This record gives sequence, structure tokens and C-alpha cells, in this order.
Amino acid sequence: MTAAAALDTATLVARARDGDVPAYEQLVRRYQGQMFRLAVRMLSSRGDAEDVVQEVFLTAWRRLGQLHADDAFVGWLYRATTNRCLNVLRARRPVTDVEPDETPSTGAAGLPDRAAETSAQLAALVDALDRLTGEQRACWLLREVHGRSYEEIAETIGTTSAAVRGRIARARAQLAEVMEPWR
Amino acid sequence: MAVNGTSSEYLLPCGRDVDEVWSGLGEPVDVHERDCPHCRATRGSLLVLRDVTRELADDETEPSRDLTGRIMAAVRADLRRHDLLPLPTPEPGSLEVSAQAVAAVVRFAADGVAGVRARRCRVTAGAAAGALAVELNLAVSYHGFVRHLLDDVRDRVESAVGARIGVRLERLDLVLDDLYEDG
Repeated sequence: MTAAAALDTATLVARARDGDVPAYEQLVRRYQGQMFRLAVRMLSSRGDAEDVVQEVFLTAWRRLGQLHADDAFVGWLYRATTNRCLNVLRARRPVTDVEPDETPSTGAAGLPDRAAETSAQLAALVDALDRLTGEQRACWLLREVHGRSYEEIAETIGTTSAAVRGRIARARAQLAEVMEPWR
Repeated sequence: MAVNGTSSEYLLPCGRDVDEVWSGLGEPVDVHERDCPHCRATRGSLLVLRDVTRELADDETEPSRDLTGRIMAAVRADLRRHDLLPLPTPEPGSLEVSAQAVAAVVRFAADGVAGVRARRCRVTAGAAAGALAVELNLAVSYHGFVRHLLDDVRDRVESAVGARIGVRLERLDLVLDDLYEDG
């Protein structure tokens, strides 16, 4: 195991594909945090985010054999996590456009502890993120926080790169408005 | 970066849009921006947004400690259900054994030979009904290597599979792919 700690992702994926459970565990440890942070910002709920991450890694394990290339693993994880989060959001409430001001104040249960946000600006940003549509939020998080490419995001959401750029531009404009008090 | 008109609905009263201001953040302020209150205000908000986004990207919120354990328990449970190989049975209906269960028996038997460590083990259905084919990779002790070692492994594995699983090994390929130093 100690030797495996230094192995690159493609090697671990190749081994895991061969049924090597400890190699897969290394992959889980390496990437669960990233996927969890994406999910928790998408869903504003640690519990829901952990459920998503668990399902994503179980499905990934089952589909390792279908992966075209060993280095496609991380992109696959991002795609699966994003889509599962969007599904959870769709299941949560009917698609109605809620006015920002009428958004129910988010209850304490299961939410990331807002008091733990290190700054007031960050807390405001997280609140504002919650008011974007799920797809806008996904586009913005994947690009600005996780550094994924426009092409990859477009493929994930099932749209064009131009549409992704547009959504991110709109999200950025909305988020910037919220930052006004700290200008 | 040129943004086409359809991708951004956030036109400022001066005619520029938020995305244009965003694209110019890394560059010196141009003449228009220096004098335009809308652009200056937007630039200020975007700069705050950029800093807070960095804060969000640096966030290292981790999932619960037991998430890896839960994921791996699900993966192992999934393993037990998959890769089932048919076994011979005189009764109506079918009998199956998981490839991983056979592999565990094989590895245990091989590890029982002094100076041998089992590594990868692949179990597949043999050509004859109910027979199994096994490929086992081994590392052997650098000091303890003797010629009959592999014959011992073969005897042990064949009898273990026969006795503990009740199945004939149609083929057993032993691949000696490493030596190890006795620590």
C-alpha cells in the first residue's frame, strides 16, 4: 500500500480495472474530496453530497471496464458527479423559477456550516450560488473552481461550448452584483 | 476575448457588457473604463469576485471520515455479486461461484508455500463445462528460490481448489514476475 501511494492515476485505474480493490481505494481517497466539494456546493447539503459521491464511485467501479482510456477517469468522475447532482436538484422541487427574495431561508439541517465560511464575502458568494439555476451553478463551479475545460463542461451538460461560456458569463455577472458591498 | 451578443445579457448602460470588463481584468484600464462609472463599479465587483472565487477554490472541506469506508464496503459487496462462474451440479438449477472467492482460495494456497507471495490472480471459466482456468502471478523469495517451488505451488493450488470449491482446474498458469528480498 505504501508503494501504491505514489502511483499515478492511470496505473491505479489499470489495476482497479483488473479487480484490484486496494488500488481502487487509493483512487477513492485521491478524488473523493474534489467530488465532494463540487457536490456540496451544488446541493448545499453534506449528506446529499456524500450520497452522490458514494454512488458515483460505486458506478465508476462497475464501469471501469468501459472506460476508453485510463486517463479519462477523472473527467468521467466530474461528469457523473455533476449529472447526479443535477438529478438530485430536479427531484427536489418542480422546476419553478423562484424569485431570489422568496428563496426559503435554508434550514440548518444538513447544510454546510455557513459560520465556518472564512469570510463574509465567501458566505455571500455561497448564498448567491444557491440562487443560480443548477446548470448555471454547475458550469460556473466546474470552470472557475475546478478548472475544467469549456468543451468538457459542454459535454457534461449536453450543450455547446458557446452555451457554456454564455451561462458562465451570466453566472459571473449575477455573482459580481452580490460582491458590490465589498468593492 | 470577443463575446457575441447572444451569450451575454448583461449590458451595462454604457454599452459594454460584464464579460468584456471581466476579460479586461488582467490588463490596464482603458480610457473608456477609467472614466465610465458603470465599468469602474463592475470592475470593482469582479475583482472581489475573483478573489473570493480563489478562496472557494482553496477550500479543503472534506467529507466525513467514514465515506471511504462506506464506498469500499459497497464496492466489495458489489464484487461478491459479480464475476460469477458456473459450477457443475447434478441438481436442476444452477450453481455459481464468484471469481474473487476462487482467487482468494488460490492466493491463500500459494502463500502457504514458503518463499512464495501470490500477487494477481485471474479466474475465468474453462472450456469444459464447470471447469475453471486460473492465471496466478507470483513473487518468490530471492534467497529461497528452488526449482521445485513452482511445482509445490501447483500441487497446493490444485488440491485447494478441488477440496474447497469442488471444481477441477482445467488450466493453471503460473507467472513468476518478481523476486523479493526477505526482510
